[in-house]
Amino acid sequence: MMKLKEKNRIAAVLMPLLIALVTNGWSAPMTEGSSASTPIASSQAKASCKLGDLSEFRTLANEVDALVEKGNLPEAKKRIKDLETSWDEAEAGLKPRDASSWHVLDKSIDRALAALRAKPPIQAECKSTIAALLKTFDSL
Amino acid sequence: MSSDNLNKVPEITLSFWVIKILTTTVGETGADYLAVNAGLGQAVTRTGMALFLAVALFLQIRARRYTPWLYWLSVVLVSVVGTQITDLLTDDMNISLYLSTLVFAVALGIIFIVWNRSEHTLSMQNIDTRNRELFYWAAILCTFALGTAAGDLATEALGLGFAWGSIVFGSLIAVIYLTWKFGVNTVLTFWIAYIFTRPLGASLGDMLTQSRNYGGLGMGAMWTSAIFLTVIILLVTQAQIKDGLLNVGRGGN
Repeated sequence: MMKLKEKNRIAAVLMPLLIALVTNGWSAPMTEGSSASTPIASSQAKASCKLGDLSEFRTLANEVDALVEKGNLPEAKKRIKDLETSWDEAEAGLKPRDASSWHVLDKSIDRALAALRAKPPIQAECKSTIAALLKTFDSL
Repeated sequence: MSSDNLNKVPEITLSFWVIKILTTTVGETGADYLAVNAGLGQAVTRTGMALFLAVALFLQIRARRYTPWLYWLSVVLVSVVGTQITDLLTDDMNISLYLSTLVFAVALGIIFIVWNRSEHTLSMQNIDTRNRELFYWAAILCTFALGTAAGDLATEALGLGFAWGSIVFGSLIAVIYLTWKFGVNTVLTFWIAYIFTRPLGASLGDMLTQSRNYGGLGMGAMWTSAIFLTVIILLVTQAQIKDGLLNVGRGGN
């Protein structure tokens, strides 16, 4: 009967797709695990806890901090936009791992963004929000 | 009474569902791009999109017959605005996703009750008066907000990532399709499936765009949007052509 053949055909197409999706889903937690399995110091191990490897974002935050230190607020504003963009792009990948930690870090980034985007930006405010952001990274 | 007016919305075919899912993703990516990459900020993007949507809906409702490109442009814009409404509530007003999901679900129920009471039919083949169109689009907007809230809630409460999300929401839609095949009410199954296309579209989009570090295919937002947009344009053009060749004889049964 035609209906049965049709269903088999559909199943034949869907099965490999399902398998591909499932293996993709299972490999995601595995990549996350391997990055946390070689800690050098305990504080570094903490940095790659449930959210996984945040070093890319931490590096950008450090660069913003350095620019703020030097008093170069316009450059810092440009650099933190890079942080914002890459952070937002990675939301779908990071948030499911640990939504509450993600929100904590997200709000911390927002505060630093607001300080640097203020008109005019105030050095002390920028300094404190960035310092708080780096502390947030360390605490995760 | 069934009017002489033509049905203003597309027939529910596989093509319909494919375009629907793709437009969901593209709408979201587009709004993100404007707000973040282009630096317009959330407030400006929101207002701009809402205005754009108002214009599109005005044209859509004013049109004398179903016009594929206008219909799907409206859907993309509703997708954007519906998502932004939910994001505004969640991010700016700190409203819990449990609450927003519940509120949108109730709101959707109310829309259907009022719609049914007013028109005595919820059939998608009779969206042929202005009132019915207004109800229809109100429901569509609400399903996007609800789909966003429910999808985000699943991510946050269950840690449901995009890979599993694609499987789960895809399977749910498949199950709903089966219940429809076995006789469950058409209107009910359509709208429930429609709600789930929002988180499905979001998960599929994320699967393609997200970096390999997170288990995605690493294609990035730009390429994914370009591909999705191309497929949408092809399918909508196909619908437009098919539509243009048909005589004015379609419409109410």
